[in-house]
Amino acid sequence: MSALDILLVILRIAFGAFVPLSFVAVLVWMERRGAGYFQDRSGPNRCNVLGFRAGGLIQNIADAVKLIFKEDIVPGHIKHKLYFILAPTLVFITAILSFAMVPFADTLVLNGKEYIMQAIPADLGILWFLAVVGFGVYGIILAGWSSHNKYGVLGGLRAAAQVISYEIPMGLALVSLLTIYSTVNLSEMARFQGQLLFGFIPMWGVFLQPLGVIIFIVAAFAETNRTPFDLAEGESEIVAGFHVEYSSMKFALFFMGEYVAMFVSSALIVTLYFGSYQIPWFSTETLVNHSKPVVFLLMLAMPVAAYFFNIWMKKNNRSQYERPNDPRVFEAQVYAAVIWSIVIFIEIIFLGFLIFSSGAGGARILVALLQIACFLFKTFLMCFVYIWVRWTLPRFRYDQLQRLGWQRLLPLALLNIFITSAVVVSLA
Amino acid sequence: MAEMVKLFVNGEEVEVESGKNLIDAIGAVGIEIPHLCYHPALGADGNCRMCLVGIEDGRPPVVPACKTPAREGMRVQLDTDNIKKIQRDIMEFELINHPVDCPICDQAGECKLQDYYMAHDLQDSRMRVPQVTKGKKMDFGCGVVHDQERCVVCGRCVRFTRQITKTGELGIINRTDAARVNIFPGRPLNNRYALNIVDLCPVGAMTSRDFRFKQRVWFLKKDKGICHGCARGCNIFIDHNREKYKDDVIYRYRPRLNSLVNGYFMCDEGRLSYKEENENRLTATMIEGKETSFEDGIQRIQQELNQAKKPLMLISPNSTLEQQWAVKRIATLYGARCSGYSEGYVKAGDGDDFLICDDKSANRRGLQLLDIDCERTTLEQALGECDLFISFDNDPFRFGNNEELRNAIAAKRVIAISSHENTMTEISKVALPVASYSEYDGTIVNINNVLQSFTRAVRKNEERIDILEVTRLLGGAVRDNAHAWPGMKTTVEELAEVHPDRIPAEGLQLSVSEESHVSA
Amino acid sequence: MSAKVKTIERKGRTFLEHLYLVEVFKGMAVTFGHFFRNLMDNRRLYVRHYPEVKPEIPARWRGRHRLTTHEDGTVKCVACFMCQTNCPSNCIMIEAGERTDGRSEKLPVRFDIDLLECIYCGYCVEACPMDAIRMDTGIFSVTSYDRESMMIGLEDLLTTPAGCSEEEYQKGGC
Repeated sequence: MSALDILLVILRIAFGAFVPLSFVAVLVWMERRGAGYFQDRSGPNRCNVLGFRAGGLIQNIADAVKLIFKEDIVPGHIKHKLYFILAPTLVFITAILSFAMVPFADTLVLNGKEYIMQAIPADLGILWFLAVVGFGVYGIILAGWSSHNKYGVLGGLRAAAQVISYEIPMGLALVSLLTIYSTVNLSEMARFQGQLLFGFIPMWGVFLQPLGVIIFIVAAFAETNRTPFDLAEGESEIVAGFHVEYSSMKFALFFMGEYVAMFVSSALIVTLYFGSYQIPWFSTETLVNHSKPVVFLLMLAMPVAAYFFNIWMKKNNRSQYERPNDPRVFEAQVYAAVIWSIVIFIEIIFLGFLIFSSGAGGARILVALLQIACFLFKTFLMCFVYIWVRWTLPRFRYDQLQRLGWQRLLPLALLNIFITSAVVVSLA
Repeated sequence: MAEMVKLFVNGEEVEVESGKNLIDAIGAVGIEIPHLCYHPALGADGNCRMCLVGIEDGRPPVVPACKTPAREGMRVQLDTDNIKKIQRDIMEFELINHPVDCPICDQAGECKLQDYYMAHDLQDSRMRVPQVTKGKKMDFGCGVVHDQERCVVCGRCVRFTRQITKTGELGIINRTDAARVNIFPGRPLNNRYALNIVDLCPVGAMTSRDFRFKQRVWFLKKDKGICHGCARGCNIFIDHNREKYKDDVIYRYRPRLNSLVNGYFMCDEGRLSYKEENENRLTATMIEGKETSFEDGIQRIQQELNQAKKPLMLISPNSTLEQQWAVKRIATLYGARCSGYSEGYVKAGDGDDFLICDDKSANRRGLQLLDIDCERTTLEQALGECDLFISFDNDPFRFGNNEELRNAIAAKRVIAISSHENTMTEISKVALPVASYSEYDGTIVNINNVLQSFTRAVRKNEERIDILEVTRLLGGAVRDNAHAWPGMKTTVEELAEVHPDRIPAEGLQLSVSEESHVSA
Repeated sequence: MSAKVKTIERKGRTFLEHLYLVEVFKGMAVTFGHFFRNLMDNRRLYVRHYPEVKPEIPARWRGRHRLTTHEDGTVKCVACFMCQTNCPSNCIMIEAGERTDGRSEKLPVRFDIDLLECIYCGYCVEACPMDAIRMDTGIFSVTSYDRESMMIGLEDLLTTPAGCSEEEYQKGGC
C-alpha cells in the first residue's frame, strides 16, 4: 500500500464523514434563512463575531454553544437509561453511515491504479442505503419508547408505521430503476447516467423514470420525517413526539441526524435520478481530454460570477434602518475582499495548471474536483427542494398519509415496474 | 303555628301568617317590600316611607307596610306606577345629600341604598346645589365609626340603644337636611352590644373600626358557625377569606338569627373573638421544646400513654359532644381517669341578663351530659396519683393564673393537645396542635340546653385535625362524628332521641324542665 | 323535525386537483416567488428591525400599568378594590389603609400587580371609578430575570410616567 493509497483512503473517509456534518450547518442556516425568505421574514441576522455575521451562519455557532452547554437532563421516570441514550446515537450514526456508499466523483485513475470515490469502496450500493436507513427508524422508536411518555410513544409508533408504509413504494420504485441500470452498484449507476439519450438528452434517471422519481422523492421525504410527512414530531398534537424528553446534546443528535438524513437522501436522489456527479454533456473522458480549455473557460467565468455576486451582496448586506456609518457596509466590503482574494488564488492555481500541467494525473484530479463540486451543487439544490417543500406544504393528516402510501404510491410503483419491465424487455 | 290569612299581592293570592305586619308577612313568602327603617327586632318606626304600598279600595289607599298588619282579603299593590314613583322619589330624596363614596365605604356590597338604587331608582341626581356637609369619621366609642353624610336617618341605631341595650347614648339632633345622629357631648357609646349598630345600619353610616378597610365584603366567604365565646352559643356568620398567597383568615363575626338562642344580636366580646381564631395559634408540634413532625408527636403520645400507669385526661368544656365522648372512650381504653375541670373558663359576675354568660366555654353542658367529673377536688386527687397528664385543648388557666394548680400540673409529665399557645403548652413536654372550632364540625349544648350543630368554615393552608381525629390516631374506636352518636345515645338519656343529622337549624331544646326561650 | 339538507359544492374534485402534484407545484411556485423576490432584494421583507426600530405605540395601546396622582402628587387610588374584583387573572393585590392627606378616608398601603399573571385585558382601567389606574405607559416589553421583580408595587406604579399626553389619551376614547 503506497502513501497515495493511504492518503486517498483518508480523504475519502473524511469526505464521507465530514461533508454530511458540515452540510448540517449549511442546511440549518439554509432552513432558517429559507424559511424567512419564503415567509417574507429575514431569518437569523443578529448573531455576529466582531460584527461579522456571515449572512446568519454565525447563528449556528451560537446554537451549538447553547446546545452543548445546556443542562443534559435525563428525566427521573426513565427506566432504561441505556436505551434512552442509545436512541439519538443510533439515529445520528445510521444517518451518517448511509452516506458511505454514495460515490461523489468518477473513479479516479492515478498512476494506473483505480480509486473508487466513495467512503467505503464496496459493491453493496443501494442495498446498504436501504438497510441502514431502515435501521435508523429504530432510533426513533427506541427514543419514543424509552422516554416513557405518551407523546413520545405516539411519535415513535407513527414513525414506525410511516417507515413501513413508505419503504415499500420506495423499494418498488428502486426495482424499476434497477431493471434499467441492471446493477445495484451506485458507481455504475452514476457512470450509466453519463451517457446520452437520443444523442442530446443526458441519460439521467429522471428522464428514464419520470414516475419512479416522483414516487422515490415522496417516499424519501417520508423516510426522513420531513414535512409534509413529519407526523412523528407533530408539534400541534404530540408536542414534539419522540424527542419530547430530550435536551441538550442528545436533542442535538436528533436534530443533526435529521439534517444528515436529509443530506444523504438528497445525495441519493441525485445519484439515482439526477446524474450523480456527472456534468451534463461532459463525460469524464471528455473533460480529462480537454482539461485546458475547460480551465480556461472557468478562469473567465469565475471573475464574472464573483462580480455579480458582490453586487448582489452589497445590495443586500446593509442595515435596513437609519444608521450612521452603517457597519454592515464595511462588513460587505470585507466579504468582497475575501471573495476576490479567493478568486485570485484559484485563478493563480488554474494559471499554474495551464502553464505547467502535462500529464493526465493533474487533469484527472481536477476533473474529480469538478465532479465533486457538481455533485455537491446538485445535492445542495435537492436539499433546497426539501426546505422549499417544507415551507410550502402543510402536514398530512395521519390517515391521509397512510392512504397516500398504500393506495396511491404502492399501485403506482407496481404499475411503474410493469411498464419499465415491458419497455426494457421489448428493447432488449 | 300562627293563624294563616289569605291576601292578594299584585293580584296574586298568597297565604301569610296573620298578626304580622306586611313586610314580615309577605317577606316570609319571598316577596320583598323595600324598607330602610324597619327592623323586626326594633319594631316599626315608619320614618323612611320606603315601604309605602298601595291597598286597593283601602282607606287610606297608600300605607306604610311596616305599620300595616296583614289582614284577610287585603289587596296589596307593589308594582303600580304610583308606588314605583314613590319608591323612586324616596330613593332620589335619600341620595340628595348622600356622598356616594361607595369606593371607600365598607358597607358597599351589603348596602341597602345600593340595592334599592339598582332595583328602584337608576337615575342620575338632578340636584345642582352643593351637598350639605356633615361630620365624617366620628368616633362613637366601642369601635363604632360614624359618617353623618352617609346616614339616611332611619333611626335604627337610636332605637337599638333605647330599646335593646336601654342605654340610650344616641339621638337624632336637628331637623330636615341638618338632621343627624350623634352622641351626647363627651358620652360615647358605652354598652357591650354596641357593634350590633354596625349590622343594623342599612347604609354605611356606621362602620366597625375593627373591620374598617380590612376587606371588601364581596370577597368574604360567609359560612355559618357558632360563637364559642361563652356558654350562650350565639349563632354567627364566620366571614373569612383566603387572599392570594395567604392563609384563610377570619375577618369578622356577624350575628345570625336564631330565635331560640340569641335572636338577632351578639355581644361585642364574642364578635371580636374571631381574633383568637387567627392569632396565637399553636402551629408546630413540640417535643421537649423541639419542633418535630405531627406524626412524631402522635407516636410520642402513644408511647407515653403505653408507659404510663395512671394517666389523667383533662377534657375541654369547649370541645364538641363528639370530641368529649371520644376522649372519654379513649380514657377507658388506656385506663385513664378523666376530668372536665374548667373553672378557669368561668368569669364570675361577667354575665348579664341578655346574652353574655359567666361561663366562657361553649359546651359545659356537654360535660355534664356525658357525666364527666368537673370537680376540683377530684382533679387534685387524681393529679396526685397520676404519672401522665394529658390536656385535650383544656386550658385551666384561661382567665387568671392559679399558681398552686399550675405547679401541681407542671410537676407531672404533661402533654398538651391544644389549638392555641397557652400556659398548658408552655409547661408541657409534648405539645400537639389541633383544629379550633372554626375548623371542625360538631355539636354543642348551650347554657339553656339547646343542642346545636355547626359545620366547618375555615380551611387553613396547613390543616389541623381535631381532637376526635387525634383520639382515633391514638387507637380510639370513634372514627368520626357520626360514629360517636350510637354510643352517646345509649349512655346519655337526654340524647337518646336525637338524630345528629336531623338537628334543626335553630337547634334542639333538650330538656323542657329548664327555662328555654330567650327574648329575641 | 326534519333536518334541512343543503348540498355544498365540493372544491378540489377535478382530476388535476386530485393528482395533488399539479397543485403542489403551483403552491411551490408561489412560495418560490416570494423567496426569489426576497433573495434578490431583502429590503422588501415585511419585517420591523425591532430593538433598533421601535414600534409606534398608539395612545390606546394597553401597556404596563401605572397609578395616577392628583396635581399635588397624592395618589388617586382609594383602594376600592374594583380592579382587583374585576381582574380575570387575579393579578392585583391591594391592601387598604387609613388615609390622612385629606383627600378621602382610604388609600392603598400596598398595591401589587403580578405582571407575570396579568393578561393586559384593561378591565382594571375600565373598572376604576377614580381614573387612578391606567395602562397608557406605552411599555410593551416587560421582562425580567426573576419572578420577584415582575411583582411591581405602589412605588413603581406611581413613578412610571405616562406614555402619551393627556389630550391624546382622552382622544383615544379610553
